[in-house]
Amino acid sequence: DEIGLIPCPEARYNRSPIVLVENKLGVESWCVKFLLPYVHNKLLLYRQRKQWLNKDELIDITCTLLLLNPDFTTAWNVRKELILSGTLNPLKDLHLGKLALTKFPKSPETWIHRRWVLQQLIQENSLPSLATKGNLGAAPVERIHRLVQEEMNVCSEAAGRYPSNYNAWSHRIWVLQHLAKLTVKVLLDELSSTKYWVSMHVSDHSGFHYRQFLLNSLIRRTVTDNNILVQNQMVNEQNPSLQKEEENAGTEAACAEEQSVDLPRRLDEEMELCSELIDNYPGHETLWCHSDESLNNSHHSPATSHMAQAMVVDGLNESSSKQGYTQETKRLKRAPVQDSLGPEMEYRFVDKVLSTCRDVDQARFATAYRKWLVTFLGQ
Amino acid sequence: PNLWMPFSHRSAYCATSVASLTNILTPTLFAGTAEWIARCQNWEGGIGGVPGMEAHGGYTFCGVAALVILKQEHLLNLRSLLHWVTGRQMRFEGGFQGRCNKLVDGCYSFWQAGLLPLLHRALHARGDPALSMAHWMFDQLALQEYILLCCQCPAGGLLDKPGKSRDFYHTCYCLSGLAIAQHFGSGDLHNEVVLGVPENCLQATHPVYNIAPEKVARAVMHFLQYPVPSLDPAS
Repeated sequence: DEIGLIPCPEARYNRSPIVLVENKLGVESWCVKFLLPYVHNKLLLYRQRKQWLNKDELIDITCTLLLLNPDFTTAWNVRKELILSGTLNPLKDLHLGKLALTKFPKSPETWIHRRWVLQQLIQENSLPSLATKGNLGAAPVERIHRLVQEEMNVCSEAAGRYPSNYNAWSHRIWVLQHLAKLTVKVLLDELSSTKYWVSMHVSDHSGFHYRQFLLNSLIRRTVTDNNILVQNQMVNEQNPSLQKEEENAGTEAACAEEQSVDLPRRLDEEMELCSELIDNYPGHETLWCHSDESLNNSHHSPATSHMAQAMVVDGLNESSSKQGYTQETKRLKRAPVQDSLGPEMEYRFVDKVLSTCRDVDQARFATAYRKWLVTFLGQ
Repeated sequence: PNLWMPFSHRSAYCATSVASLTNILTPTLFAGTAEWIARCQNWEGGIGGVPGMEAHGGYTFCGVAALVILKQEHLLNLRSLLHWVTGRQMRFEGGFQGRCNKLVDGCYSFWQAGLLPLLHRALHARGDPALSMAHWMFDQLALQEYILLCCQCPAGGLLDKPGKSRDFYHTCYCLSGLAIAQHFGSGDLHNEVVLGVPENCLQATHPVYNIAPEKVARAVMHFLQYPVPSLDPAS
């Protein structure tokens, strides 16, 4: 489950440089300068059609190459060809990539290939027959869910292995967008599962930025869902005879989802998390930036944009549109938006930090934040 | 769902640079490019690899420069971009970081500092009265100090930060950043700000293409002589 290089400049003993301990693979460094050019050359000769390699040899050689240098695009491309011809199980490449990332957590080519493999896998799902080894009988939805979870794990580990791992976090976002389709459930799950991680990596700007992405996506999702809700309600009111069972169930489900999001509370929780971390870990710029943006988001909460959206959706029937609007406002009133409370609390928090902190950077960030609050509230 | 999207700003910059210098830039060639780049500007003010991603110095420069070439920089929120990039100059080191809460790196002397001339030009075109006519909106001397004192390898060449080894990439971008920091404006408005002895002064570099301004002029003049190639196959 992990690979690494064992610093060992000379071959002292006449034995294999490969070391396997508790499922971890090590390679003694002295052999790399012989091994890498050898396999590299073999692959190039194959590519130049000067020397044939059969499928098993190709799999072995590319595997070795990529564990030594995962940014060797050609090797990944050979494997793409093997996958497309049906000789290689794409899941093997997910595993190979995962292994490579334990040593090379940033490797751009590994992440790119991973996305290609995932695309292949989800395309397979749209085909009626699924005979991929190891996944017989699993329903497509369940399969995708498992894939998404695994990707979240891989990203999380890679992010832990290199600070502010841009490629890992952008892959994570890509997976949420293209595999998980940014559903409310997955966004909420990710918010809770990354909470611990960011608390353990308070200087990792990418980690906090990811949470901003989750919160923003939730906001956008809630607005969209509510728009659909309002529109559906009006359609149903106008055409009661055409009401479909599924549509009703769909709207109710979306309604239930939206109610369980409770965005203002989520944003307040985010502010709480920030304050707690700022107190515990003085002097981290990332935390203050995150605070800025979370406050920004809670001020422009979906409540205000809902109103605007509800008013825009006119509908054909005057009375039904009013009805839709009233129902919308009723729902909004149930979820109080504590606009006025948020900034006040922030002032108290900042002043407390300024009066008690001893860290120079912390004081500087707090002062800047205070100035920002003043400007922001002045608008 | 393009797999290579996180790297597309680099390609956009390369493509627009080449196309504009060789006079093959047509509207259809970059249809949608400007809008895509603008969508990648995020709440921090900088530009990320894909919409939603963290702002990153390299992608921001490539994105903004491409937009300048396409004459679409107005699609961005220039004020928040200015706020973000000026926040990336490190108050202790004088050099620039690539992203919030990361370490300084010599190469960002160009990717980040290089944004200020672009912004200056864009804001000037809008008639912003507050713009200086002598300095860029970053501490030019502090950046020069960082590059000259911390980024030089005793054996020649330049590098990321003390302790790192030299390479061509860092040599190129440290020098480019140094040139940006030393030269404000051009022509009548040219103002040199050189740290240390006059011999430290480098030739100015073009803020969009990062080659000598005379070379840009010559390339453009040369290719203007030729008609824009058509897409019809030669008979």
